[in-house]
Amino acid sequence: MLVLGMLLFAVAGCKHGSGDKPLITEGERLATKGEGAVPACASCHGEKGEGNGAAGFPRLAGLNKDYLAKQLQDMAREKPPEGVVMEPVARDYSKTPRVNSDLTAFSPGLRHSPVMSPLARGLSEQQINAVSAYYASLSFTAKPLPADFQTLERGADLALRGKPEYGLPACISCHAPNGEGFGADFPPLAGQPPKYLIDQIDKWQTGERDNDPLALMKAVANQLTDADKINVAAYFANRTLVVKGQ
Amino acid sequence: MRARILMTAAVLLQFLVAPAFAANKDVVDGPLLDGGVVRPAEHQARASVPATFSHDKAIRQIPQINPGEYFIPPQIQDIPTSKYGQMVEQGRRIFTDTQRYAGRYVGNGLNCSSCHLQEGRKAYASPMWAAYPMYPQFRNKTRSVMTFEERLQDCFKYSMNGIAPTLDSPEIKALSAYAHWLSKGAPINQELPGRGFARLSKPRDPNSINGEKLYRENCAICHGVDGQGQKFAKRAGYMFPPLWGRNSFNRAAGMSTIKDCAQFTKANMPLGKGWTLTDMDAWDICTYIWIQDRPSDPRFGWLMNAIMPPVGGN
Amino acid sequence: MRGRKWVVTLLLLGAGLLGAWAMADSQQKQPVDGSMSMDDLPELDTLETHVSMQAPKETLPNELTVVPVVSPGEYHVPPPIEDIPESKYGDMVNFGRNIFINTQKYAKRYVGNGLNCANCHLQEGRKPFAAPLWAAYPMYPMYREKSHQVVTFQERLQDCFKYSLNGIAPTLDSDEIKALTVYAQWLSTDIPNGTIVAGRGFARIDKSHDPSPFNGKVIYQQYCAMCHGEDMLGKKFADRPGYMFPPLAGADSYNKGAGMHKIKTCASFVKANMPLGRPYTLTDDQALEVCVHIWQQDRPWNPKKSMFMNMFMPVTEG
Repeated sequence: MLVLGMLLFAVAGCKHGSGDKPLITEGERLATKGEGAVPACASCHGEKGEGNGAAGFPRLAGLNKDYLAKQLQDMAREKPPEGVVMEPVARDYSKTPRVNSDLTAFSPGLRHSPVMSPLARGLSEQQINAVSAYYASLSFTAKPLPADFQTLERGADLALRGKPEYGLPACISCHAPNGEGFGADFPPLAGQPPKYLIDQIDKWQTGERDNDPLALMKAVANQLTDADKINVAAYFANRTLVVKGQ
Repeated sequence: MRARILMTAAVLLQFLVAPAFAANKDVVDGPLLDGGVVRPAEHQARASVPATFSHDKAIRQIPQINPGEYFIPPQIQDIPTSKYGQMVEQGRRIFTDTQRYAGRYVGNGLNCSSCHLQEGRKAYASPMWAAYPMYPQFRNKTRSVMTFEERLQDCFKYSMNGIAPTLDSPEIKALSAYAHWLSKGAPINQELPGRGFARLSKPRDPNSINGEKLYRENCAICHGVDGQGQKFAKRAGYMFPPLWGRNSFNRAAGMSTIKDCAQFTKANMPLGKGWTLTDMDAWDICTYIWIQDRPSDPRFGWLMNAIMPPVGGN
Repeated sequence: MRGRKWVVTLLLLGAGLLGAWAMADSQQKQPVDGSMSMDDLPELDTLETHVSMQAPKETLPNELTVVPVVSPGEYHVPPPIEDIPESKYGDMVNFGRNIFINTQKYAKRYVGNGLNCANCHLQEGRKPFAAPLWAAYPMYPMYREKSHQVVTFQERLQDCFKYSLNGIAPTLDSDEIKALTVYAQWLSTDIPNGTIVAGRGFARIDKSHDPSPFNGKVIYQQYCAMCHGEDMLGKKFADRPGYMFPPLAGADSYNKGAGMHKIKTCASFVKANMPLGRPYTLTDDQALEVCVHIWQQDRPWNPKKSMFMNMFMPVTEG
């Protein structure tokens, strides 16, 4: 029985591993050469997906596959008609009499970007999965950016402890210690260009980006001052980080 | 340095010449104060605190205490009628009558409130309300960070010359609860005015001969010429605590260091006339107290206690 | 000879049965998980947009209960980390903080599950209404109903080790207890001793009706499952030991003697702190309902009671 079980596991493992290979090769082709109207991802996001610090283009290498796919899908999504509210949480209709089969409203999220949105619309679902799988398979080593001591200290305070007296949680309590990111829902902060992090928090505050589960990040971003953003982005850009591709 | 050698020599000498020394005690001149006899003051009549009392006018400063300057602990009648309040009351009983309520842990004749005057409330007599919020803190004596409970254990071991109750014993807990209640409202981890003892200057090396003279003038009326304190006539225990001898604190107690003793004496003694002795008087008196015989240091073996100069001499 | 053979056969049979049972158990898990989202739970699809039945609203979080506005100075602000003095005392503060935020490493031998102190006492024990240390320390020694006596802060810490960490209590004079006490005292610098300060313990909640466990399941899946997992077992790090999101049930969670196992305590914690970053979004009743659901799960036994009592006695903490 034990042997049988081990065999099953082995078979399952092989299946899983071999299933991703062609997807990754397809993604690599797409990322380095582009296709049709879609230019190569590498032209902005760097040769190895390491991002562009000066322009604030995020790094993609080593990010979670599902996270990347969700972001592309959210960028591709059209704005809903006026008056429709995207709800961050699935509502409990168990007590409501059911008229239609599905009355659940769950916000899939919107992430508008003048550059990325048209590009994302040009990708098919297969291509999105492929390019996500490719970037998730890349390894990445962060180059810590120096920052002055005071900025780092303030950034560390916010990153490790948050603002307890205002109910603002610490960054690391969701984005994992060191800002490494955790799972498909919590992207890494370390190794991202500081400009990108600040831009994104700005977008949450203005409502341009609105695709976080349970609207957690929106609630957090609304409590950050400009100084907080700069400090905490400097702190995470200062982290060392080694990511192995999957 | 010279004084230190002298003191050490004095301590060693007393083992050899103690009987002769005791016999010659009344050789030292000075008025022998008798509690029963009323006599006119030698000094001029004064309206308030003595002005000509001190030998050194530059040092003598009697602080004016303004209301609100020192922390005021809650009143006894404010002890809540809860389980916590019962614990506080038990702690207060132990504090003021250690002989009865924690007798099995005590090896001498003292109570907590013998040194922590007025039930642990008096400023500059190491009041509980200033000590409790500062613990846990680092102590040089043990070279470690101590909690308040462990500090209480040290009091039992040294000042009470006894055995420390365990950390979870009701005695330690009750005393902690009492100290916690006394310091209700005191900011945690902040040094309050009145904490510990007074700060002293030390113009010259202390002199135990002068100290003996001053002791007889100022202290002997209560603590006795022999320093053994005075017992109640009709019941057990001491009315005035012994300053040396087998019923006093031992060599490892804080009060057995000349500095702590002088700082305590300056602010509190003679009782009701605190700050009247000069700093140097306090040093002298405490040097005299320090060279007396008392229970040995439980941290050291008997050989070390016999041979080594006792700690706390400087 | 014959008897020995019998014994061997029996042993083999037993081992086989055990193996079969284990396999069946592991295989069963799949359908159980699948059936959870089958009919009466709303299907969560991240990719589809559905139009809400509700009238459109201006802001995103809808039907909020009252979210308290925090004005500066309302809650105590403990001293910043940089102010830890460089002394023996400061070393103890640092050690206490290390234990507090990484109990799994610094006090591992006393801990029987996968939790750290900071899993419940959020933000290193600083967050108001998440049982902050700075509000607890000045109140001890205090009478506790649970132990029916006045306990010191150190004894209270021991209880945390025994119940919430499902482990063994360090002795009162151990370095761990001392360091945690020092850390708590340092955090509560400047607080008037023995006074109740704002933000102490957990939020106060009202119960308008008896909570239903069925709603709790739905609420759990909507709000909590993302981090704590569908199975409530938390989420582990991929590349290192320990939990990123703490388990709410199962062998690595607090035991049945813990305060968090009381529905009311749990609900008051959830109300003010969960989902992390969006406190006060659940109503009081929702918080109670989700806690009933958590309370129903399997977790380590109450060490105060024996095995039979744990199995057969009616539970009281509900």
